[in-house]
Amino acid sequence: MSAQLQEGSVTTIYGKRWSVEMADLSRTLDRLAVAIIFIAITAAFHLHYVLTVGDWDFWVDWKDRQYWVTLAPIILIFFPAAVQNVLWSNFRLPIGGTLCVAALTIGVWISRTFGFELWSYFPLSLVWPATMIAGGLILDAVLLLTGNWFFTAVIGGMAFGLVFYPVNWPIMAPYRLPMEIMNSLVSVGDYIGYAYTRTATPEYLRFIERGTLRTFGGHSAVVSAFFSGFVCILTYMVWWWIGGALSRVVTIPNRLKFAMGMPEEKVVRAEQQA
Amino acid sequence: MSSVLPHPTASSTAKAAATDKPIVNYKPAIFGLAGVLLIMVAYRIYQQIFAFSAGLDSTAPEFDTYWMNLLKGELVLLVCSWAGLWSYLWFTRDRNLTALKPREEMRRYFRLVMFLLVYAFCVYFTGSFFGEEDASWHQTVVRDTSFTPSHIILFYGTVPLYILFGVGSFIYAMTRLPRFAERISLPFAIAVAGPFLILPNLGYNEFGHAFWLMEEYFSAPLHWGFVVLGWSVLALGGVLLQIAQHIYELMGRMEKESAAA
Repeated sequence: MSAQLQEGSVTTIYGKRWSVEMADLSRTLDRLAVAIIFIAITAAFHLHYVLTVGDWDFWVDWKDRQYWVTLAPIILIFFPAAVQNVLWSNFRLPIGGTLCVAALTIGVWISRTFGFELWSYFPLSLVWPATMIAGGLILDAVLLLTGNWFFTAVIGGMAFGLVFYPVNWPIMAPYRLPMEIMNSLVSVGDYIGYAYTRTATPEYLRFIERGTLRTFGGHSAVVSAFFSGFVCILTYMVWWWIGGALSRVVTIPNRLKFAMGMPEEKVVRAEQQA
Repeated sequence: MSSVLPHPTASSTAKAAATDKPIVNYKPAIFGLAGVLLIMVAYRIYQQIFAFSAGLDSTAPEFDTYWMNLLKGELVLLVCSWAGLWSYLWFTRDRNLTALKPREEMRRYFRLVMFLLVYAFCVYFTGSFFGEEDASWHQTVVRDTSFTPSHIILFYGTVPLYILFGVGSFIYAMTRLPRFAERISLPFAIAVAGPFLILPNLGYNEFGHAFWLMEEYFSAPLHWGFVVLGWSVLALGGVLLQIAQHIYELMGRMEKESAAA
């Protein structure tokens, strides 16, 4: 608001003088646009997330030290990169990453509660969503400090992949405790997955885990995080560009504009000229 | 805009647009949002009551009563609402946009923005709320039909509703705002057509689940068509930027007019 000065019926915004009515309209548009952007990002980012890495996010026994750590950040960085481009390039707002992950977090918690817990009756301790707020904050901080998309991709993208596992560890740790069930070594998370049957989905363990000590983390999680960070750098670059392309104002002539209340342009044909 | 289009003092459609009428009217948006919320809450309560009690076996008579009848009702409503709103917007279009006064044009821009707000709100229920809820049902309950209690709400209840408002907002812009009538906005077309195509893509999804993959993996490639089409919602950013540019120009014109007066 420091950029706005009001003198009587005239308001100065960033050096341009507007009537109070126009300034109000401008602020009203801002408020409506913010609401649309937040709701649309929640919808589109959530759809993108659940249909690409949703299974790992739904179930605590899917949250392994291999594919979850690798795939989730790679998929998660798509929207922050695209929205950062739109908000930074047009408005110099370094909030795209945090905005996206905050919108996603709200969306997943609502549906995890109303869908998984209150409809399918799975306890939240089995279906809690991962947290990714730290990654979004780091992306925005790097963009703010460097002001450059390339450095944000390299530094922020790598950090985005690296921090995903550590920030989720405090929630995850109790589910990684080992236990023996029917002569098999499993984690607490795995056992919950067995106990609460998902009739239409086979157990994840059957595909991924082999019941070794690597199941409980170790260096394989760190390797996965570094690989994820590397791919995040590349996907950030691609999605920065896609964000710019999708938000570009491009128009094509409307050949039917005469039916929509616009005057038809008089086209002089070649034969008429002749 | 002012350099391209003449602006005569008389407007055919905007005669009623007296200058004392407020430019921003929140009532349609509030009614729209409240109506959508009411429908979604009703759907969710219906699921809570009848999904497990009557929705587990598609061959059972109670499934027919509570779920197939709901589906049939939705299909009728879908056709009626699409035909009703879109034809209303077309037949009541402004037939002389060149005579539109700036104040009325500004009013229409805000109406369009609120149209988009209701559209985004509907997309939220498809992409987020009922979209993920669909996983909680299909990963838990064996699928024996394409028309499950989650699909009947998600694909035949919420998707047609956002298509109604998405295409409606596009028609509104094309028939009431000179800049959108003059040239077709590609981001607007993408932001509306992409999510629209989720409905046809459902055919591929159901074919895949019927013949290839009865189990439910949400991350299965079978679902990635929905993902790609969902990305198109990002084009709403381009639409909002375009609207902001138009409104900025319009504000300048209105300031000049009031200064001259």
